Amino acid sequence: MTGGFLSNEDRILGDAFLKDGYIIRAVEDRASLDRIQARMAELAAAQLKLDPPDDPKAFLDDIHSQVGPDKLNAFRLAMIAGINSEPWFRRAYYSLAEKTLASLVGNELAMQRRANLSIQLPGDESSLLPAHTDTWAGDSPFEVVVWLPLVDCRATKSMFILPPAANAKAAAKLSDYNDKGVEALYRDYEADARFLAVDYGQFLLFDQNLIHGNRVNAEKTTRWTFNCRFKGLFTPYADKKLGEFFEPITMRPQTRVGLAYKLPEGFQ
Amino acid sequence: MSEPARAGYRGYIGSRPVLGNRAPQAVQNLVVRDYCQRSGLQYLLSSVEYAMPRCYMMLNEVLAELPRLQGIVCYTLFMLPEAADRRREVYRRVLAAKATLHTAIEGQVLRTAEDIGRIEDIWLVQQALARAPKTL
Repeated sequence: MTGGFLSNEDRILGDAFLKDGYIIRAVEDRASLDRIQARMAELAAAQLKLDPPDDPKAFLDDIHSQVGPDKLNAFRLAMIAGINSEPWFRRAYYSLAEKTLASLVGNELAMQRRANLSIQLPGDESSLLPAHTDTWAGDSPFEVVVWLPLVDCRATKSMFILPPAANAKAAAKLSDYNDKGVEALYRDYEADARFLAVDYGQFLLFDQNLIHGNRVNAEKTTRWTFNCRFKGLFTPYADKKLGEFFEPITMRPQTRVGLAYKLPEGFQ
Repeated sequence: MSEPARAGYRGYIGSRPVLGNRAPQAVQNLVVRDYCQRSGLQYLLSSVEYAMPRCYMMLNEVLAELPRLQGIVCYTLFMLPEAADRRREVYRRVLAAKATLHTAIEGQVLRTAEDIGRIEDIWLVQQALARAPKTL
């Protein structure tokens, strides 16, 4: 880490992130989290033509009693469109991890324009995200993911990640799996995979260069998790471009000055 | 015993340029969805090919899934492997699985072995054009 200039708090957090590839913390703005969860439950109830629930968490946990796998993707897309159309949503989402992002990524950030939502019903094989890294599929290695559960997510109801050491071994052998496929890759490194316990009230921030994914949800309740990417505004972009996928959110005054600056002209 | 019902058509999009051109993944998905809608095909969420050159891991995943699918809808024909023998292996696996391969941009469909020649003609001419003069 940068010697001597980082605060002790930043250094400790940074070391933990580099060691594990992720950190799990309590959200930094509980009121915003509760607002997001309550709105999602309202949107889900409206989509299903039900009254708004008294207990959003229990309602979301039990959504599999209302929605089957055949209707799940259309339902999920309606939820994504609904919450992303709320003008307060992205600011609220950012506030959940604002200080942690500043510590681990920077204070001039670009944020994904539309947060994604994963809904994984118990026993449903249609919503699986096999072992992958986002970088392999066109994301910049400078991005992190803020992963936010709206219900308690543990074991197969959560996601798995390979820690950096195991990930380095797997990534070095990736081309060996070109024909065997990523399921074979997962099987070979399954013993190293960590299923992360992230309860409602916490967020997970992880390095999406590490192999991660999910399995069939073998728990009794439904997973609801958002994922949204953040990166340093001036770090390199890959296939997910500034403007179409990312937007600047925290540009600082001197950057604005610099971007507008023109050297004096007119010399002959 | 009757065979289990097969799901619809898996989209297949990419994260690296094709023939030097880049289309955002959201646009590729729109094109694939629109093709499915116009063709009366049930669209299934797309697999995204990895960014590494000559990597076809996601295509192989979809090919392995074919016995449970009706087929694949690629964003473009030119996402298939550049090497002719690897392309022919793709065609073989599609037909062996009794599935179909569609390409949304070109509107090409591989349903039978007779379709291979037509699709390969397009591929071979395109590869020759890459070496031909670019201006009139």
